[in-house]
Amino acid sequence: MKTKMALSIILGLVSFVLVAIMFTQFKTVEQTDITAIETMREAELRTELTSWKAKYDEVQEKVDDTKNKIAEYETQLNSSQNTSDVINNEIKDYERFLGYTKVTGQGIEITLSDSEDKLIESLDLLKLVNELKSAGAEAISINDERIVTNSDIVSVNNRLILVNSRKLSSPYVVKAIGDKKYLESAIIIKGGYIDSIKAAEKAIDYVLKDDILIDSYKEEIKMDYSKEVEDND
Amino acid sequence: MVYFGIILGCLLGAILGMHAPVISYTYSSYLSIAIIAALDSVFGGIASVIKKNFDIKIFLTGFFGNAILSILLTILGNKLNVDIYLAAIVVFVGRMFTNLAIIRRYYVEVWSNKIASLKEKKENETDSNTTE
Repeated sequence: MKTKMALSIILGLVSFVLVAIMFTQFKTVEQTDITAIETMREAELRTELTSWKAKYDEVQEKVDDTKNKIAEYETQLNSSQNTSDVINNEIKDYERFLGYTKVTGQGIEITLSDSEDKLIESLDLLKLVNELKSAGAEAISINDERIVTNSDIVSVNNRLILVNSRKLSSPYVVKAIGDKKYLESAIIIKGGYIDSIKAAEKAIDYVLKDDILIDSYKEEIKMDYSKEVEDND
Repeated sequence: MVYFGIILGCLLGAILGMHAPVISYTYSSYLSIAIIAALDSVFGGIASVIKKNFDIKIFLTGFFGNAILSILLTILGNKLNVDIYLAAIVVFVGRMFTNLAIIRRYYVEVWSNKIASLKEKKENETDSNTTE
């Protein structure tokens, strides 16, 4: 009786252990998510690892390619920056030529002023500007109105003088940058400009300066009607 | 009494197993080998009961020893990169089949004996009836 009791207890325990393990295993097999990395077998993990390594190498290659491309683009960018610098310099030069920049340099400053009975006319200014231009003036302004290629110097009703369509009044200060000796000699020559003005009993005075500052042209130069024509020579 | 203990153990084990946490898939393969080994021992035990040479010591050592040994062999196989667990499965399942065959033969014999004895009884009864 006692041995039977012990036997049944032992067999019960054994079956308990076996069945418990079996059910745990059933549950595990049933519930295991094959894709979850924690539950993967080593072999699976190894194959996964190798595939990822291959992918990594591929991506690394792509990264290198892209880096090379970036370097290429950077060099191109630098070279294009150089060309754009050149172009910018050219643009600045042309702006200077056109009168779109303030300029300074040696030159002459001529002051014409109305006297009590004689007024300065637009023709006087026009003549003076022409004289200065022929003497090699690089930049000219009248009362800080810059004289450019399409500047006008006209009089209205023989009273008002318009330069660049702006009304000016006496005294008229004409500044010109250029070789100051040439400029001076161009106007003080005998029978020249100053003589003619003085003969007309108008007041004129001039100063030679080394640092004449001439303001820039403020308007926009428009080309509405003229079109470019190809040169065929 | 013995059957009652076995059934009770099975029920409790099923309940515990259902509530046990899920184990990692890596160890799950070792556990499956242990289960196969244990099942082999169980069938071997039943066969030995039938053969009337059942020994509880041999059964217990076989049950746990085979399970643990198979687990150790599987681990060793993993280390050696040899699928030893396949050999274990082949051996254990083969033995399970032989043991099951022994059990089957025994019960078939028992059944055929029973039927033969029943037939004999009937024949005896009819014989006695006719003689009467």
